[in-house]
Amino acid sequence: MTSELYLLGFGPEGWGPVLARAGLMTLAVSLSAFLLGTVLGTLTVWGRVSGNPVTRRIAETYVVVLRGIPDLLVIFLFYFGGRQVVSLVGTALGFEGPFDISGFVAGMLAIGLISGAGQSEVLRGAYQAVPKGTLEAGRVVGMSRWQLFRRVTAPQAMVTAIPGMGNQWQSVIKESALVSVTGLVETMRQVSIAAGTTQEHFLFYTAAAVIYLIITTLSDQVFRMLERRSMAGYAGGSH
Amino acid sequence: MDTVYLLDLFKKLLGGLPLTLNLAVFALLGGFAIALLLNLLRTTRIGNAVAGTYIFFFRGTPLLVQLFMIYFGLAQFEFVRSSFLWPLLREPYWCGLIALMLNDAAYTAEILRGGLRAVPRGAQEAARVSGMSRLQILRRVTLPIAVRQALPAYSNEIISMLKSTALVSMISLMDVTGIAREAVAETWRAVEIFLCAGLIYLVLSLIITRATSWAERALSPWQFGARQ
Amino acid sequence: MTNNLPAVSVKGLHKSFGSHEVLKGIDLAAHDGDVISLIGASGSGKSTLLRCIPMLEIPNSGSISVGEAHITPRDGKLSRADERTARAIRRDLGFVFQNFNLWPHRTVLQNVVEAPMIVQRRNKAECRDEAMALLEKVGLSDKADAWPNQLSGGQQQRVAIARALAQKPRALLFDEPTSALDPELVGEVLKVMRDLADEGRTMIIVTHEMGFAREVSSRTIFLHQGLVEEDGTPEQVFGNAHSERCRAFLSGYFDRA
Ligand SMILES: Nc1ncnc2c1ncn2[C@@H]1O[C@H](COP(=O)(O)OP(=O)(O)O)[C@@H](O)[C@H]1O
Ligand SMILES: [Mg+2]
Repeated sequence: MTSELYLLGFGPEGWGPVLARAGLMTLAVSLSAFLLGTVLGTLTVWGRVSGNPVTRRIAETYVVVLRGIPDLLVIFLFYFGGRQVVSLVGTALGFEGPFDISGFVAGMLAIGLISGAGQSEVLRGAYQAVPKGTLEAGRVVGMSRWQLFRRVTAPQAMVTAIPGMGNQWQSVIKESALVSVTGLVETMRQVSIAAGTTQEHFLFYTAAAVIYLIITTLSDQVFRMLERRSMAGYAGGSH
Repeated sequence: MDTVYLLDLFKKLLGGLPLTLNLAVFALLGGFAIALLLNLLRTTRIGNAVAGTYIFFFRGTPLLVQLFMIYFGLAQFEFVRSSFLWPLLREPYWCGLIALMLNDAAYTAEILRGGLRAVPRGAQEAARVSGMSRLQILRRVTLPIAVRQALPAYSNEIISMLKSTALVSMISLMDVTGIAREAVAETWRAVEIFLCAGLIYLVLSLIITRATSWAERALSPWQFGARQ
Repeated sequence: MTNNLPAVSVKGLHKSFGSHEVLKGIDLAAHDGDVISLIGASGSGKSTLLRCIPMLEIPNSGSISVGEAHITPRDGKLSRADERTARAIRRDLGFVFQNFNLWPHRTVLQNVVEAPMIVQRRNKAECRDEAMALLEKVGLSDKADAWPNQLSGGQQQRVAIARALAQKPRALLFDEPTSALDPELVGEVLKVMRDLADEGRTMIIVTHEMGFAREVSSRTIFLHQGLVEEDGTPEQVFGNAHSERCRAFLSGYFDRA
């Protein structure tokens, strides 16, 4: 196998450039899904704590459903379901088929939706961990609800949420490998193509493992640094 | 959507349920055993490095990559094909089970470790001064508290494993998801079919949630006692 | 127990954490019925000394005996035989921690019967009856089926005392048993301890409750930087200590009170 390592390089027969591009695609789809998840997660927490029974019901159902269905099925649903919706709308508008939905969009929506459920749990935990006393302290100096949220709740909750959000991001990266079923050429898809072409399955799946390990390890470092920074801010602020 | 079609579809999908459950149960059992082993390894320096590397690899890469490495990757080697393991490793079932098990072990090992770390030192010291042996302390104080501390996280891992079994449909196994994909390929009624399959997993995971939260209450009434 | 061996005896005890020498040669003997109070500034080594007796900390040199059992550890290590002796010593001592350290996963009653049942392998029904009697004695028989986290600190500490008594120990060791308690809960624990002293129990008590120490103990030892600086009757130590430092330490307390 060592003799086949040139296949991973950047030479004429090397898959290096396409693998690098695929790695970036993994990052791109993960990042957009994660951000979508953050928006959905925040909305969900708001739905749960705002006190409106209807939004609470919706938010809770969303979390339960998405935590109970396999990620792969959610991606299939969005990919094939999205295609059906687009076809329906397209035909109704008088366009000619065949219609398709991009794997990127389907994957981003599916994983964003899955991650939103997970992130909402992290964010809710962080929100609930904000000491009630600090809210009261804000209230007695006359802050408005929005001021309280922006100046007291959010800064504290963000610090508590960092490790949990780090885990959610790691999950998103790993889930993004499933988007390969839509044909989107991210790491997993690219590696499968390469493995099929060269018949060097082990080599290329190991390369995939290394690419994911690089991404997950680097992100871990980033989140640790964020955690340290925010903690340092804390210590400095309270002394 | 006609009910006859849906009923038929459910019947068909439920045909994959035994395989789905089989994989989840055995992956969890095997994974737990390996996780215990990994924590035992942690007590020595070299063992700690081995366990740490194992956990780093399996938690840092997607299960799909691990599955394909085992199913497609290993088959490429002559020494694997001629080894006594080949009758197992050429079966998608065993490859799927092994991948799920190894993956589960890494996550479970960390959950167990968290549980062990959450055991109050004082509780162990109190056991020591009462004259308990190491084994007695482990059996009567450390493990009971650790297991109960780890239970909520482990409940999530159980559900997570159940959902992960769906990946074996990628190596041609006919679990609930595998059957759903086949049905979609035949009829193109993707949305109905995947929703029905999702519903089956959802019901299972709700049952697991109920069962584990019951177990949490039954096993640790002390955590639910009213504080004064 | 009719012979003249002390219940607990510590000889030439040295203990270091890394390069920091915390105990620099301590001798101490408690005979049956003695109530010894150990006082001294925070960091003077009181807890370390107390924790060395049941080998929660392994001394670097010196020896410990409880009744007939005798250990002389070397270099902070226990041999296999020492390990066995240490367990015998622990069985013969009751230890009460500052933070109670009740087992959170066992009820009050289960906490009390655990050691006699599991370590001493005594009859379950008998252990139970004795445990109920002990809970009665500390005033908590109505809490037998409660969980530790349902009790106040004072109640938890009284359970911990009952748990220590259930071992039928030769001596009871207390490490600042009231320091983690709210002031209004200190009294209930001191009362139980006073009753034990009146019964003639052998006790070594690390405490900052000077009034209590003066009233209850038969001997008071003042520790300073890992050495015994003053050792005598409470009248001597609290009345006219030889050591300047001891007088200064005590005046700090009584001025505050
Ligand atoms: N496990 C330990 N590791 C390192 N240093 C310790 C440890 N336990 C105690 N010490 C140190 O030993 C000294 C004496 O501590 P301790 O016996 O707890 O004093 P006291 O109980 O009189 O307040 C302190 O300086 C403390 O920091
Ligand atoms: Mg102390």
